Amino acid sequence: MDIAKKILKVNVNGRPYELLIKPKTTLLQFLRNDLGLTGAKQACMDNSCGACTVIVDKMAVKACSVLALQVNGREVMTVEGLASRDGKLHPLQQAFLDYHAFQCGFCTPGKLMSSKAMLDENPHPNEEEIRRDMEGNLCRCTGYTQYIEAIKAVAQKKEVAK
Amino acid sequence: MTEYSVVGKPLPRVDGIAKLTGQAKYTTDIVLPNMVYGKLLRSPLPHAKIVSIDISKAEKLAGVEAVITGKDTWGIRYGFVDTPTYPAEERPLAEDKVRFVGEAVAAVAAVDPDIAEDALDLIEVEYDPLPAVFDPEEAMKDGAPQIHGEITRTTSCAWEDWGVARKSHSYTPINNVAGRVLISYGDIEKGFAEADHIREDRFWSPATSHMAMEPHTIVASYDPFTGRLEVWLNHMAYELKRYWLHKTLGIPIQKIRVHQTYIGGAFGGKAVIFDFEVLAGFISRKLGKPVKIELTREEVFSSCRNSIRFDTTLKTGVKKDGTIVAQHVKVIVDAGAYKGSAAVAMFLSHQFSEPCFNRRNVRHEGVGVYTNKNFGFAKRGHGAPQNRFAVDSQIDMICEDLGLDPVEVILKNLRKKGDILPNGDKLESYGLPKCVQLVADAIDWKQKRGKQRDKNRGVGIGINGMFSGSGYWPFACAAIVRLNHDGTITLMEGDCEFGQGADTTYSQIAAEELGLPLEDVNLISGDSELCPMNYSNFLSGGMFVGGGAVWYAAHDLRQKILKVGSELLKVKMEDLDLKNRTVFIKAKPEKSLTFGEILRYNVQKHLGDPLIGMGYKKAVPEIEFYPSLSKGTGRFTDAYGLAAATAEVEVDRETGRTKVLKICIADDCGYEINPASIYGQMVSQAVMGMGDALLEEVIDEGGRVINPNLVDYEIPRAFDVPEIVILNGCDYEPKGPFGGKEAGECARAAVIPAIANAIYDAVGVRVHRVPITPEKLLNALKVREGKK
Repeated sequence: MDIAKKILKVNVNGRPYELLIKPKTTLLQFLRNDLGLTGAKQACMDNSCGACTVIVDKMAVKACSVLALQVNGREVMTVEGLASRDGKLHPLQQAFLDYHAFQCGFCTPGKLMSSKAMLDENPHPNEEEIRRDMEGNLCRCTGYTQYIEAIKAVAQKKEVAK
Repeated sequence: MTEYSVVGKPLPRVDGIAKLTGQAKYTTDIVLPNMVYGKLLRSPLPHAKIVSIDISKAEKLAGVEAVITGKDTWGIRYGFVDTPTYPAEERPLAEDKVRFVGEAVAAVAAVDPDIAEDALDLIEVEYDPLPAVFDPEEAMKDGAPQIHGEITRTTSCAWEDWGVARKSHSYTPINNVAGRVLISYGDIEKGFAEADHIREDRFWSPATSHMAMEPHTIVASYDPFTGRLEVWLNHMAYELKRYWLHKTLGIPIQKIRVHQTYIGGAFGGKAVIFDFEVLAGFISRKLGKPVKIELTREEVFSSCRNSIRFDTTLKTGVKKDGTIVAQHVKVIVDAGAYKGSAAVAMFLSHQFSEPCFNRRNVRHEGVGVYTNKNFGFAKRGHGAPQNRFAVDSQIDMICEDLGLDPVEVILKNLRKKGDILPNGDKLESYGLPKCVQLVADAIDWKQKRGKQRDKNRGVGIGINGMFSGSGYWPFACAAIVRLNHDGTITLMEGDCEFGQGADTTYSQIAAEELGLPLEDVNLISGDSELCPMNYSNFLSGGMFVGGGAVWYAAHDLRQKILKVGSELLKVKMEDLDLKNRTVFIKAKPEKSLTFGEILRYNVQKHLGDPLIGMGYKKAVPEIEFYPSLSKGTGRFTDAYGLAAATAEVEVDRETGRTKVLKICIADDCGYEINPASIYGQMVSQAVMGMGDALLEEVIDEGGRVINPNLVDYEIPRAFDVPEIVILNGCDYEPKGPFGGKEAGECARAAVIPAIANAIYDAVGVRVHRVPITPEKLLNALKVREGKK
């Protein structure tokens, strides 16, 4: 019945953690339940909506579909790590605010992390690249237009602050 | 025109920082000490007697705290429609039989969700399958399986609490009929006799999912010592859920508190009470512990409300010039296992049509029929999307028959500003003609209509009307605005923030009225304990009713501040104005007092009165009780929101795939309190309407939903979004806050026929069932080729 817990060593939002977890714990469950980082959301449970997206090393990852133990030894960044600790918003957050790029906000943390990973890799995507890249992030409220505009605005500005 | 400094501006949303930093708390994020997790066992059969349920093994599993069945909740009834004629028949757990695949038959609570899931597997249910019926026309035939026996007087009815006398009344549905509406005016026979051209066509709209991003969730916490139930849940007006919890659980209403949470999208689908919500309260009381129940996406598709399945037969008579002289609408609603809001949708599909065309002689018949499937509720437009798809498609067909232009025919048949509708509603604001003109111009109608078939491209148009709140239940709101020591205000109003921007726009209204910047508004919203009465957040009543209450409350405080100011500055109230936390003399702005000084003076001189404004608003002041839905008589709303949409598409004849190139929407929301918010609502509806027209359908086979996930049920993604043009068709609404009214629901229904009509314009075939999938369109193209 009970499978032995295993040690997970991981860096989340710049802080090291070492915890005992059940092997079947997903990264999303680990972040939400073990660390209390509830920004990433569960909405589909089958890797199709992107509301749980976080960044592992430099890659956008759907945290519902990755086991926590798979990120052992890696660096994870969640939406909670995006703004600076003194309360200054990341340029993407500021652009989302300026462009009304969210409504209910449930998918927003995932979108922010997806778009950050995209811009880190390709700082000046064109509109088609943005749309293609954001295909994995479903949204029912906004109709996408305002957040595509927000990402474009950031992409056109300069390098995104890391 | 008055120059405003806060309303009319696309200000950033006040819920922005919380939502963008991951700090916003949704129900799914709520965790309480000692909390247990609930899961529901759901029926695998569409129609069966429950012979026995053995819960003994599940109860023995370590970590399981409670297992309950229909025996525990026997007799509890609730439903959105609960009237003397049609008592509610929904129940939290099946009792003696199940009526659809996905109906709850048992519930488990355990110390963690995995154990609860394991316990479900240990429950043994013996079913005796019954013949099932899935088609409403089959279900109405003699000899069809009867889904309900006697439906008895119920526990949840709100009527008697609001003073409507009702007799004890039970009834047994005959031939599975769950409800009827019959609305008529004019003389339908005479109308058709006068017509030069008559068409009869049939159209179908399927069940679609609201697909709000947050799956339905509740946390319920009952304290056995105080008898209080605290809940966090997905809702659209806390008074509704609180009322049903009170009625179903028998807990005094004032001992139930709905806490504020953000809600991850609603679109109509979260307004009603659900089985799992009643059960969470029930189990929490049984255990004296908090209970959390989070549904899976599959449960949302299979067991929560989807939109309502409409089968519409439409007969319309017109004069040679396209003037409508008669319309006979026959609706069959495939209600599903419980009636949900079938009757309401059948009625609304009529009444939302009323502000659109003057049809002169009308008969609108609807029948809602029980079948062994999941049942439906309102989804963004509640009956209008289904009806507009039929009506505006047929207008397009009539124009083709008579060689007329649809835009001209639509303009010819529109109502006029100031018109009084047959039920008594008056169109005091009416921007629809302007909207139609705007969207026709924006799509380049004259240059493109009927002229691009060689490129398989076409354009189409649709329109719609929508209530700004209605006379449902006591549809009313109150708001309180408190002046604080530092001159800021605290606004208390009950509307919940589910994405529509209520928190922001209401704050803007209060700030503008009091001459304050937006950041001076401290907001307390969505909490039943801290906020006054609130019913407005569904039927698009938010801005008009909720926002109206806020406006009046701010105005009340404004008058009080001016009165104190006039005492102190020794001038008349009308010579004063408010700006930046001060009251000043208009002619001598340097003569001013801060709000802080006003407050201190008033507390000292007027028996401690700290200056509090109060406001309230009812959707339709003349209505004391429910209007008649089944007959369509009585006033329904004080202001209609209106919208028109055009679309341009390109069809691939090889694959049958439709690519939407452009959608234009012009909306009359009276006045744009926050233009960026309005823009967001419109784009949202453009894209949702595109999903309705081309992609979305909850498909069932033998009563089982076969696409209950986001892989098999597609909604539009970022790459599908076409060019979208949003235009302002506002006509100032004299009864609305700063002239504002409905915005969030109307346009979706106009987009669907706009796309369907554009497809016809592109390739000359018409699909009568949305969604117009590649398969259906290819078939239609083949049929036409065959006929040639």
